[in-house]
Amino acid sequence: MSWTSVVSARLRGLFEHKRPERELDEEVRSHLEMQIEDNLKAGMSPQDARYAALRSFGAIEPMKESYRERRAFSVVETMAHDLRYTARTLRKSPGFTITSVTVLALAIGANTAMFSVLNAVLFRPLPYRSPDQLATLWTEIPSQSVREGRSTYLNAEQWRSQSETFADMAMFDPVSATLTSAGEAVQVSVLRISPNIFSLLGVQPLNGRAFTAQEAEQREHVALISHAFWQSRFGGSPNAVGATVELDGRPSRIIGILPPGLPNLNADFSEPHTLFPGWETLPGPMSANSWFVIGRLRPGVTLEKAQAEMSAIANRLGNRGISVVPFQLTGPRARLALWMLMGAVFCVLIIAATNVAGLSLARGASRGREFAVRAALGASHSRIVRQLLAESLTLAALSGGLGILVALAGIRLILAAQPANLARLNETNLDLRVLSGVLALSMITGVLVGLAPAITLAHRSLRASVQESGRSVSGGVSTRRIRRALVVTEFALAIMLSVGAGLLIRSLRSVENVDPGFRYDRVLLTNLSTTVARADFYERVLEQIESLPGVQSAGVIGDLFIGGNAEQLVTTEGDTRAISEPLRLRRDEVSAGFFKTLGIPLLKGRFFSVDDGPDSPRVAIVNDAMARRLWLGADPVGKRFKLGNLGFTVVGVVGDMRRQSLENEPIPQMFEPLAQNASRRANLLIRTSVDDPLKMVASVQAAVRRVEPRAPVYGVTTLDNRLGAFLTERRFQTSLLIGFSTIALLMAAIGIYGLIQYSIAARTHEIGIRMAIGARAGEIFRMILSEGLKLSLTGLGLGLIGALLLGRAVSSLLFGVTATDPLTFLAVSVLLISVAAAACYFPARRAMKIEPIEALRND
Amino acid sequence: MVSSNKADVLQGTLILLVLRTLETLGPLHGYGISRRIEQISNEVLQLNQGTLYPALLRMEQEGWIAAKWGASEKNRKARFYSITGAGRRRLAKETEEWRRMSSTIERFLVPDPAGLAEES
Repeated sequence: MSWTSVVSARLRGLFEHKRPERELDEEVRSHLEMQIEDNLKAGMSPQDARYAALRSFGAIEPMKESYRERRAFSVVETMAHDLRYTARTLRKSPGFTITSVTVLALAIGANTAMFSVLNAVLFRPLPYRSPDQLATLWTEIPSQSVREGRSTYLNAEQWRSQSETFADMAMFDPVSATLTSAGEAVQVSVLRISPNIFSLLGVQPLNGRAFTAQEAEQREHVALISHAFWQSRFGGSPNAVGATVELDGRPSRIIGILPPGLPNLNADFSEPHTLFPGWETLPGPMSANSWFVIGRLRPGVTLEKAQAEMSAIANRLGNRGISVVPFQLTGPRARLALWMLMGAVFCVLIIAATNVAGLSLARGASRGREFAVRAALGASHSRIVRQLLAESLTLAALSGGLGILVALAGIRLILAAQPANLARLNETNLDLRVLSGVLALSMITGVLVGLAPAITLAHRSLRASVQESGRSVSGGVSTRRIRRALVVTEFALAIMLSVGAGLLIRSLRSVENVDPGFRYDRVLLTNLSTTVARADFYERVLEQIESLPGVQSAGVIGDLFIGGNAEQLVTTEGDTRAISEPLRLRRDEVSAGFFKTLGIPLLKGRFFSVDDGPDSPRVAIVNDAMARRLWLGADPVGKRFKLGNLGFTVVGVVGDMRRQSLENEPIPQMFEPLAQNASRRANLLIRTSVDDPLKMVASVQAAVRRVEPRAPVYGVTTLDNRLGAFLTERRFQTSLLIGFSTIALLMAAIGIYGLIQYSIAARTHEIGIRMAIGARAGEIFRMILSEGLKLSLTGLGLGLIGALLLGRAVSSLLFGVTATDPLTFLAVSVLLISVAAAACYFPARRAMKIEPIEALRND
Repeated sequence: MVSSNKADVLQGTLILLVLRTLETLGPLHGYGISRRIEQISNEVLQLNQGTLYPALLRMEQEGWIAAKWGASEKNRKARFYSITGAGRRRLAKETEEWRRMSSTIERFLVPDPAGLAEES
């Protein structure tokens, strides 16, 4: 068989169905039987009758062939015809086509870009074995409002040994370390992991091997490196395996290289969890909540069942709860924000489609005659509806194609801007799922756009259209009703989006106005680390820096910005007895000049002094939150408390600082003198007298190098920028939503403008008569204006209901403003009504100037 | 062959004949249509009966005729075709075209085509 006949057979098969084929056979048989019967009646012998019948019928097979071709051809032919006709009509009205395609392409493109972000961040399965069996286990401490907190190692080990529903659990903790090699020292990210994490996730090293449980137990200094680190540091050389590097001053042997594209195991180094400094004391009950716990459910076990079992285990162990959630890289708030933006951009698409539908309705009105003529020439009703749908689907397909280009540009923009710290955001691209999403969106759009004119057509008698063709605008009642519904929809959606944007703007303002508790202008922030933890290193660095011109003061703190917080058992020594309680507490060492540098107010007592040396009694400064929490308003200065077996005397109370983010309430914090507890790494803060502290970077670096030539100075930024980073995500969300709602508002305005314009055109005659019998121009003006306002008020009502629901859904994204904030709702209502009024004003003005004579002569 | 002096039905005129047949006789099956065409033309028009079916399909697709299964007078199952509104309009148009065409051709065939000479 030649390939052409194969193809044609396939094509025919595509259009062929068994049923019509059988029907034809039956029809032919009955035809022949009737002929034979007649032939017999005419006196032929049975055999002759049969032959004569077959002869007069002619060849059956070629007939069937042409019948089949006819049937297959007709589908293709009508389709081709519809498309040709569509192309012609769209070419004939380039204004309409270009406007519609542009509007729809932008909307589809924005939706596609947003959807590809969701796809990469939320939908795409993680690159592990059966990722849906993975779960994260969190510690819950309701009394301290700890939700989804990290866990202690001891707890995680207990869960692991007692659980039946989990096949295994692994622990990991991301930290950082200083990598020293000849002549330089850099900061690297390190993940401390329990050795079973590889088998749990189903991950195999690309080269070399993973470390064993035994190696972990013996605290051997072995490490795996990430693919990216292997490429950048070792140029992908196989010699990397077996190489020894120095991490935090200790030699560590690289035994394997992890494959690329693992969103969790992407730290530069992965080390055994037992290499944690002070590991021996850590598993104890007073240890820190520093571990992430990930578990693999046994096959067939649901999350609910696992949760029930873990809750029972938590009850048995006492003190704290456990929550089991699907293993996801993105937190609930970020997920909600993504969904909100997706919803918003989808609303924009609906509004865009609505607007184009409005345009096409307006066009449909003037095309009434065209359809009527086509109907008169024999086109069936369904054929015309199909034609309309073919037109709108073609529009949508064009827009979808362009939309993909828009989306590609949008994705590049998102990747370049990095608007949010989202895991896997960088994997955003157009894949099959996104492309099928585009297809679905385009189809929805096409149907939305084509539906309205098709419905109108169905409601209209075509004959009437021919007859009323004398009038220039033939606005059927149903057309107007549908256009009204479209405008109301647009307004409702625009109001929802605007209220959402308004609430986010108010939240952003609130966050921006939050006082972080310290002065952040003109402060340079940098990380500093040393291979040996020595208090005098920091003292000497500070000395060097404070002698630089342009530096007012400098201070050191272990870590200024903090993420998850360890819970520790704090014992306060009262007058009569000691009280112990677990408390989420942040403990940092600071230099004497730290508080002065950031302008943190001293509320009671004193700052640290040179007398608080390594050999003097341990002292602590606590923040207001801790003072209120532990001493309930009494003066804590001079009071003593214990952390594990370390005793501290409170010497001062300072103001609260927001160090988690601007949006979190300050947690209890304590500070101790650097001299009494120096660490390897710290934040260096330098208050300068120059407007751009970044100009000081080189001299600061030189000052540090004068103390320790190889000390890494990294992550230099201004404190202002660093705080600003807290706002980046919120700013981005807010500006996106503002953009979407502005587009929505504009389109709604255009929609109502078009409708009023159209309705005036349709009523020119009526207005002419009204004026001729004495209506004043003002009355006409009011009549037109009230028509527009009635629609926008209906839209406003519906939109406010929607906005209430939306506000409730996204309330966790709001800050310092309630979801029903009256000011926002009022402002949006006023804005929308003004826009609607403005959109109606101009056509109404024109209506006033209608000359009755002209209007009536129009007929 | 016996049929040498009989005319084959042209594809275009077949539509006209079928529509006209259905208009005058009402719903009819394929065999009935072919019999009628042959009878009316006094067996002059020789219909290759098989070619009728693709033509019927096309007319059905165009919406000129509608088809449904029914029982013939001898209670045999047959597919009955009937003319639609669109079919009637088509018939009117086809008839008009045929008349114009045949009268034009007729004018060529009159012994003295004086009219034509004058016009040019």
